[in-house]
Amino acid sequence: MAIRPRLRRLVPERRVQNATLDLFASTERATPHPTPPPVARVLPQPAQLWLAVRFPTLPLVVVPDPAAVQAVVEGLPGRQWLVAVTAAACQFGLEAGLSRAAAEIRVPSVTLYERCADREAQALKARARAAFAFTPFVSLEAPDTLLLEIRGSLRLFGGLEALLSRVRSTLATPLIATVQATAPTVRAALWLARARVERPVLSTAELPGALAALPLAVTGFEASVLQTCERMGVSTLGELIRLPRDGVARRLTPDVPRQLDEALGRAAQPRRRHVLAERFTDQIDLPAESLTTDSLLPWCAHLLAAQQRFLVQRDAAVAQCRFRFQHRSGQGSTTLVLQRSLAATQAAEWQLLLVERLGRLILPAPVVAITLRSGVVLPAVPLDEGIGGVGHDGQAAAARLLDRLRARLGEEAVHGVCLVPEHRPECAYARVRPTLPSVIADPGQWPMAPRPLWLLAAPQPLPVRDAAPSYGGPLRLLSGPERIESGWWSGQGVARDYYVACAASGARVWIFCERDADGQRHWCLHGVFA
Amino acid sequence: MKASLEAILQGAGVWRGLEPATAVLSARCPSGWPRLDAVLAGGGWPLGTLIELLLPAHGLGELRLLMPALRRQLLPSPGDGPRWLVWISPPHEPYPPALAQSGLDPARMLRIEAPQPADRLWAVEQVLQSGSAAVVLCWLDAVDDRWLRRLKLAVENQSVLLIALRPTARRQTHSPASLRIELVPAPHGLDLTILKERGRAPTRVTRVFGE
Repeated sequence: MAIRPRLRRLVPERRVQNATLDLFASTERATPHPTPPPVARVLPQPAQLWLAVRFPTLPLVVVPDPAAVQAVVEGLPGRQWLVAVTAAACQFGLEAGLSRAAAEIRVPSVTLYERCADREAQALKARARAAFAFTPFVSLEAPDTLLLEIRGSLRLFGGLEALLSRVRSTLATPLIATVQATAPTVRAALWLARARVERPVLSTAELPGALAALPLAVTGFEASVLQTCERMGVSTLGELIRLPRDGVARRLTPDVPRQLDEALGRAAQPRRRHVLAERFTDQIDLPAESLTTDSLLPWCAHLLAAQQRFLVQRDAAVAQCRFRFQHRSGQGSTTLVLQRSLAATQAAEWQLLLVERLGRLILPAPVVAITLRSGVVLPAVPLDEGIGGVGHDGQAAAARLLDRLRARLGEEAVHGVCLVPEHRPECAYARVRPTLPSVIADPGQWPMAPRPLWLLAAPQPLPVRDAAPSYGGPLRLLSGPERIESGWWSGQGVARDYYVACAASGARVWIFCERDADGQRHWCLHGVFA
Repeated sequence: MKASLEAILQGAGVWRGLEPATAVLSARCPSGWPRLDAVLAGGGWPLGTLIELLLPAHGLGELRLLMPALRRQLLPSPGDGPRWLVWISPPHEPYPPALAQSGLDPARMLRIEAPQPADRLWAVEQVLQSGSAAVVLCWLDAVDDRWLRRLKLAVENQSVLLIALRPTARRQTHSPASLRIELVPAPHGLDLTILKERGRAPTRVTRVFGE
């Protein structure tokens, strides 16, 4: 893109005009000058073939009975119109776009449903999941189209015809049929599907011809752009493509020539790949209310087994599971979070943990439903099969130990520690969630002055006798003072002089002296050199 | 006949009274204190068995006494990956900057808080069974000696330094520990009384370390 202004300066104005005109002509035409036109590059990508699968009657997902005379409406109350109708309703002369009032007059027995965007999005995602059977690259185009890159799948499925019929039989239902358009570019496939043109277009060279007859409405340009086109007397894509490029960009929007380039394969159009659900979520409604945790266990095991299937499909594992026990309405729910140090796939491994935790769970009210939501899905790592065995086995055993300890003693009862670069002694370390034992190259900095091995949870005030601190007898100061004055910014500032002292019993202790607001000196015991 | 008897007596499972117990307890970890090593059979703390330290109070230098052995136990060993130093219900916070100063890697510490004695013993047993600890330090008080026996069995054949720290008041109760040592604070440092060690009468070690 950066070279374009330079070209404009070097090439005479008339030539630039030529170059822009060329953009919209056939790509095979020889260009009149040796420099290739700056934008009309044929992209050196491997050829792609896109299949757009459109579900025009997707709004019918809310319809319960496919055989009945039913339709789906949208719009504000009083000004609603039909967006999709069942085949039975179609026979009575109902069609999409009809107003609600007209439909009710024409067929009084029709049942109308409100359109539900959430249900449609869910249905489209479910179809996207199924589409992964045909290609690893599936992309969603809201509200009703899937885009599949199928060049690599043609041989496997025995050619385009066979693949298209397989896709149709997998994704179409009696209620929600498919429109399948094939083209070498994403946008062309999408526009063809919107125009319901199912004849496959296999090469870029055929694209201008195939798109030429399509009405402009398939492009989904803004309404103002479409109106301008109409006023200019442009009603098909072919007519728009023939117009001079810079004029189109100026009079409509710069977006229009870009989209045309993308449709004709002259510019790349990256698509966002649809990624399958990251988490497993499932719910079971219990047949009868249940208060004892024992009776919940089989249902939880059922959910864990479903999660295992989900994970096995993806060759994945999770390190966290969240059970939610829903109580009767108005009584809230109880949540139970299971956590493992190593991610696990197998339901059996989770069940061990579940039994331990469920046994100690106290339910405040009877449970009516159980929801299982998995944590972040991680790639499964086979742990026990390492060739060099020792380390892996050891790590797995350590992880199991952590899980077992946490399950019985609680999450907070088991922890590791780390150093924190901080002058205040009580802030110079932190409790951390334990990790598997490892060797750390650089554990961090520690203070140079001696520190006691036992630190008291809170400094313990010491009585003062004859102006000297006493701890079971007078304390003899061995070394110090070490002044620590820090943390004023946090509201918990300290200003202390630390000493190492020897108690009468022979124990060496770490004491400090600080002044309060009145300038009074206080002595405190803070640690013991055990 | 005599040769076969000799062969039997050489076996690892046979211990002859009044002999130093080295034949039975082969794995040792030097304590790092020459006066103590000179007295202990095999020249160090026995590994893979239960050691009991009895203290009248916390903070007498019990950690200083153990520190060289802890450091040595955390050194990388060829067959094993890194292992933990496990603290089970210590009376105070083992202060990480001080541990780092003493040469212990804070990342290798695992602290377990179990207020109930039953949970505490269960935790010790779990840690021992997992084989992922190099040192287990647990603070116990009144304990059923069947539990101590269980711990002793659980730690057998592992190169783990298992130390139970108990109040001196428990001195008179029976204990299956292989080595029982009482810590006696003294003005000049720390004295030890070895109450029980296989094949040895009680011994007193004075001035293990001094000022």
